[in-house]
Amino acid sequence: MKKFMPVEELARDERFNQITQADRMADGRNALIGEAEKSRKSNRLTPARPDASEAARALMHGIFVGEIQALEGAGRTCWDFTTGEEAPFELKLDMARQAWDEARHVEISLKLSDWMGSEIGQYAENTVLFQAACSNDPVLRLAGVNRALEGLAIDVFTTMKEFGEIAGDPYLEFCEDWMLADEVTHVKMGSDWLRKITENDPERRKKALEFQGIVDKMFSYGGSRSDSEESSFAIARRFRELAGFTEDENDHIADLGMQALNERKAQLREKQAAVTN
Amino acid sequence: MALTVTPDTYNFVAFDTAYTARIAERMATQLGLDDIDILLAINENSSLTRIDVTVTDALITIAPHSGALEDTRRPRQQSELNTTITIARGMLRARDRLRGGFADAPADAELTLPQAAAWDTYIMGRIAHMDIVLNKQAWVYNFRNRHGFSDAVDAVFEKLWNCESTTWAELSSLSANTVSVTA
Repeated sequence: MKKFMPVEELARDERFNQITQADRMADGRNALIGEAEKSRKSNRLTPARPDASEAARALMHGIFVGEIQALEGAGRTCWDFTTGEEAPFELKLDMARQAWDEARHVEISLKLSDWMGSEIGQYAENTVLFQAACSNDPVLRLAGVNRALEGLAIDVFTTMKEFGEIAGDPYLEFCEDWMLADEVTHVKMGSDWLRKITENDPERRKKALEFQGIVDKMFSYGGSRSDSEESSFAIARRFRELAGFTEDENDHIADLGMQALNERKAQLREKQAAVTN
Repeated sequence: MALTVTPDTYNFVAFDTAYTARIAERMATQLGLDDIDILLAINENSSLTRIDVTVTDALITIAPHSGALEDTRRPRQQSELNTTITIARGMLRARDRLRGGFADAPADAELTLPQAAAWDTYIMGRIAHMDIVLNKQAWVYNFRNRHGFSDAVDAVFEKLWNCESTTWAELSSLSANTVSVTA
């Protein structure tokens, strides 16, 4: 079986249509500036939004494909690296456990999608999550997948759990709560292994944390995640602390989210001005 | 009757005005709205799925944001099905206000979320009965989000979904009673 599979080779059937982060960012339309900005007090994904059901369905599909990619990422880490030399057996065991969890999450997200009224492949699949899982260094994978990707999952699941709680949707609230507990464990695994493997290699640790910063900014999706009400979901600080993120790290992720939001707004203004002129 | 679709060309999405106009003309005829001017003003700057509808005796204005006509599988591409559903939604809302017992309904922006969901259920049910493919469960979920998650709420949904004719007074009262029973 092939090692280090590139993102372009992810196996999907004809129901799926994949797009890249670049495709997504090339979209000059927005919900952030101009009329759209004025028409909403907040972009937070809550039941109070008029388009709440549709937005929640789209996010649930994003979670579904994200879980598939997380499963593929954890599975590839078990396979891509030589046991003992490149990655300890216990790390691979943790990744195998994570793959098992992600497979369950795929099933749960699929059932929730049915419940909310969407179909497999109804929305485009952004492959940016798996891209973070393509590094040749297992430590960078831990930083990119377990800390950045799974950290994002904590923020998203917290938003969806609260959505279910406010709307009175018993299944959504219950399922998201249980998946959230798993994600906290996955982040903690990443944090623990990152510290352990780089204990005597500060340069490698620095490189891994820098990579995590890049991935965290990418996963802010142009400001979809930040402390600002303009973002769809917030930084879930309490659950992130439980997963081993320090307050400084959470502040840093929040700053990256604000940077991404402001850069995206500037980019959209530029695109829209270019058309007007 | 004149049907106008704007804009003529698009900068942010790959939509086709002539194609949209053909769908709108067909739908206007099917819904008996071929005796009134209709302006379909697509807001291509916004990716939201909102549809704004305003009605006077002489003109129906339907202003969907581009997300409402988009193929969610292929961002920025137009979906024939979503275009059809969005135009039908806008036209049925306008027809309800003009000729369907909804003259006293508040303006769209003044509707509460449960009222809007109840009216959407009545509209989407009629679209489904026109044999246009749509995911009923998505509208069940929307109704539940606004009225509660219970069998009693689902029964009200079915009643509205299968309703051939109602008035604003009946619909708003049904929605309010459902919300109060759930609360």
